Amino acid sequence: MPILVLLVAGCALPLLGDSYMGVIGTRACIYWVLVAGLNLVVGFAGQIAIGWVALLTLGAYVTAVFTAGTVVPEQSPYVALVLAAVLCAVFGLIVGLPALRLRTFYFAMTTLGFATIVTQIALAWKSVTGGGIGVPGPVFPWPFDSPWGFYFFCLGLAIVFTWMTTNVAASRFGRSLVAIRDAEVAAESVGISKPALLVTIFLFSGALAGIAGGLFASLQSYITPDAFTFDLSVLFFIAILIGGRGSILGPLLGTIILTALPEFAAPLVAWSTFLYAALLLVIVLVVPGGIAELLDFKNRRPLEQHRQIRPRPDLVSSVIADARPSSVLVVDNVSLAFGGVRAIDGLSLEVRSGEVHGLIGPNGSGKTTTLNAISGYYAPQQGQILLDGKALPPRAPHGRAAYRIARTFQTPRLVGEESVLENVMLGGTTDGRSSFVEAMLALPRHHGDEKVLTEAAMTALAVVGLEQLAPVRADRLQHSELRFVEIARALMLRPSFLLLDEPAAGLSAEEIKRLGDLIVAISRRGTGVLLVEHHADLIFDICDRVTVLNLGKELASGTPAEIRAHQEVINAYLGA
Amino acid sequence: MPTSAREPLLEIKGLRAGYGKIGVLDNLDLTIGVGEIVALLGPNGAGKTTLLRAVSGLLPWSGQIRFAGRDLAGTSPRDTVRAGLVHVIEGHRVFTQLTVHDNLLLAGYGMARTELATRVEEALGFFPEIAEKRNDRAVTLSGGQQQMLAVAQGLVRRPRLLMLDEPSAGLSPVLVDRVLAAAGQLRDSGTAVLLVEQLIEKALALADRVYALARGSIVLEAPANEPDLPARLERAYFGQDVSHRAA
Amino acid sequence: MLESIISHGLALGAVYALIGITYNVMFAASRVFSFTAGMVGMLGGVLGALFINRMGMPVIVGFVLTLASGAVIGIVTEILTVRPVLKSLDQHLYVLSTLAFALMIQQLTAIEWSTEPQPFPRLLPIGRGIFDQQFWLPMLACALVIFGLEWLYRRTLIGRAFLAIAEDSYAARALGLPEQRLRMASYALAGVIATLAGFSSGEMMLAYFGNGPLLNFYGFVPVALGGMGSNRGAVVGGIALGLFQQSASVLVGGIFASVAVFVVFIIVLLARPEGLAGAATARRV
Repeated sequence: MPILVLLVAGCALPLLGDSYMGVIGTRACIYWVLVAGLNLVVGFAGQIAIGWVALLTLGAYVTAVFTAGTVVPEQSPYVALVLAAVLCAVFGLIVGLPALRLRTFYFAMTTLGFATIVTQIALAWKSVTGGGIGVPGPVFPWPFDSPWGFYFFCLGLAIVFTWMTTNVAASRFGRSLVAIRDAEVAAESVGISKPALLVTIFLFSGALAGIAGGLFASLQSYITPDAFTFDLSVLFFIAILIGGRGSILGPLLGTIILTALPEFAAPLVAWSTFLYAALLLVIVLVVPGGIAELLDFKNRRPLEQHRQIRPRPDLVSSVIADARPSSVLVVDNVSLAFGGVRAIDGLSLEVRSGEVHGLIGPNGSGKTTTLNAISGYYAPQQGQILLDGKALPPRAPHGRAAYRIARTFQTPRLVGEESVLENVMLGGTTDGRSSFVEAMLALPRHHGDEKVLTEAAMTALAVVGLEQLAPVRADRLQHSELRFVEIARALMLRPSFLLLDEPAAGLSAEEIKRLGDLIVAISRRGTGVLLVEHHADLIFDICDRVTVLNLGKELASGTPAEIRAHQEVINAYLGA
Repeated sequence: MPTSAREPLLEIKGLRAGYGKIGVLDNLDLTIGVGEIVALLGPNGAGKTTLLRAVSGLLPWSGQIRFAGRDLAGTSPRDTVRAGLVHVIEGHRVFTQLTVHDNLLLAGYGMARTELATRVEEALGFFPEIAEKRNDRAVTLSGGQQQMLAVAQGLVRRPRLLMLDEPSAGLSPVLVDRVLAAAGQLRDSGTAVLLVEQLIEKALALADRVYALARGSIVLEAPANEPDLPARLERAYFGQDVSHRAA
Repeated sequence: MLESIISHGLALGAVYALIGITYNVMFAASRVFSFTAGMVGMLGGVLGALFINRMGMPVIVGFVLTLASGAVIGIVTEILTVRPVLKSLDQHLYVLSTLAFALMIQQLTAIEWSTEPQPFPRLLPIGRGIFDQQFWLPMLACALVIFGLEWLYRRTLIGRAFLAIAEDSYAARALGLPEQRLRMASYALAGVIATLAGFSSGEMMLAYFGNGPLLNFYGFVPVALGGMGSNRGAVVGGIALGLFQQSASVLVGGIFASVAVFVVFIIVLLARPEGLAGAATARRV
């Protein structure tokens, strides 16, 4: 869709015959090349990189210097452009890396710092950059040396990059980016590695910004440091937010509007940045989803009221096609303390394949902490977690997916802005075979991946009885439905072990019964289930074994009947 | 069941409350009379803390809550405190960087200076252990002393109804008795107390009436001195039907 | 030259420390950082020049009016950009809303006041010297603010209410403290501190809209390094930064000074994201 817009509008522009419009159009295309890449960083990955103009500056100067031939041997403009792309990819990585360690506001500040530094260096390094006087920009040879010729060059590149970013957005990489933005903890649990993904994105966006810089230098014909103002950085950033995060079309329209707007009203020029900022404030307060949210007609259609969740336990064997191999997950004498408080104190338990193991206990007894330790979010101070005798690496939650350990969370962690289907597809991320480049270029292996993933996700949704809600935005669903979507996502891993954290909370009695049947069906495929719950009836109904925790230690362990009659357990619950 | 001839102090009808999309309380009814101690029991996750938060205005709710004849719809914690309904939250959360005295002064924020000074002394009178530490920072207090401070904070405004959320949590038995004895003293001076507790025996020994909350609504209401109460509670907690999974 | 480095460095450091304290006061009240801290600091200088130079008011009147404006802008910041997003589920909207508002302030100043640095009035009728008022006025302001805040927190009930909200805003709310009113008051206080910083350093830094982003960044460095919420850390960090920047600027050159500061900033942050004195962040899961 966005490509169509570009193509039509882009080819229509010359028909107006106005060469000034051509310059505006060229500028819009160049800005869009940068914004298309930045969109993945800001809109999809949610990193507040405000100072991205630093890369535009770098790209412009690199291209100019390499075509000028004064400092280094003269290169053709195309080669210079490629060099700019490579150098800026690396620099984009440098600017972006702090995002892996720093909080949002801090990271935003560092990007601002980068932008200032680059401009100051451009001013000071006179021998290379010409200082305040500047350098001439590259001139592209025929047929791109005329204004309209250059326009089509930029338009062509803009279309190519739009195609690439649209492909990325629709791939598991795009979904993973949004997942680390909105549901980072859940993303880790399905095997998404934030550092790897961010590195890829920063390289890609840096390269695009570098190319945009080279084109910009050519358009300007002559570049000086004050062409790269903070205003420009703000414009890019605001275009993405006005357009809406997680969208390609929105930021495209945003860029076109923001580039073209000052040209149509002369007094507006001086006030343009003020208006952009005011617009950003209005968007944040009123329509945080931006233009994309306004254009999202699909999700305005009312949903059926009084929906019932009807899982299909009989379909579990379609999702978990091969019975799970016999396996055992052991928590071996684990102790975990936060601050001075011992959350778990010398706990040992075992979960076997095909068994439903309940974990119950009063509030603060350490149930969720146990799950979090198994999932790898926290490292025990003592003891270890063993899978078939081999210790699982602590503090490596995104590795658990490879071990086929899946989980759900106490409060459902889903990406509200994405559809139910896309959320479930996240669960199959580690099964993807295609690389980022293959996804970006829409090569056959990528299409194969998507097809398999979509089918598997639809089957998983059918198992939990929610397939009719597949295209609906997740944040429109009821709480109980969200819990089942999480289970569908976990099933995508065809898990050997499934950790469920209070899945019945907030469910009606009827839903709890259906949940129980579903869990039993899953365990029949060989999955070992560790079920943390408060609802005693569910526990006693479906568990093979139950461990009772109190104050981080095991209080009792046995069959449900034994636990039910165990006086100490009753006392712990009733607080005698 | 004793019925009061006067209007109850706190009257809740059809209360629904939760956290965002997660509904916790569903169609809950409860009343508290003037000057009585009511114990609220129930397993974890049942909604006891949620109920207190709804009544004091920390959470949004729907339904009907009337306190001393006044409709509490849309009131904030500040309003309920000034109306005489004080909520001592769970976890003895006092301001550790401030002194005991400052903690108590803040509990009466907005009151006239001399009146506040008198009330602070009254509150400290209930807990001589912390009265002698009045100029020490709260971080130097033990967990039990911090809990006493938290309850003392609740007393500064001389509330008509004091809601205590698990005041015994993490306390030694001796300190638990101290705190609960203070609650008894309050009842004798005319303050009603809603006590959420895990320690059933101690709560039953102190309270006049008992409610049991499970799965979001009231499952049991009785006078505290009924003979077979513990057994009835156990049934109420674990539910009547406990079927076993076919092997 | 040494005296110049010290006097200039300490003065700059005092300004940075004050902006850092501004960030901290806003953070303590709302758990949120605002991009407006440096902008309001800039306004301290611009408004001072506006009231005294352009509109001809006496220095005292201009001073009071500037601080009052700071308080008003602080309150507007809270109402417009902080309160609405605190309720939202998306935790990071405040970065965007405060950024937008800060940009609006900056652009308005550039358009309505001037894009060039303008002179700031001489405040005290004392002659010039090596240790000139343009240097010791910011230091005086910094000392006043530090002692003033100490007095506020230790001796007034409202100050202790601020501390309570900073430590545990949920418990404060449950206790019946007027959370919203106190937050607005905190933001007003932050605005006053920022404009005081700008006003006292006006002669040194001139009335210039470009001071906004500069103060935003250099005022944030002490907070990041000293640990968020720690005023002591902000003062130490600010002074250190001012001295470091001034020495580098005189000895090596302005550009390298900026680069050096920035590199140090990044390295320290990457090594210790919570700052050198700060507390670790809350648990994720």
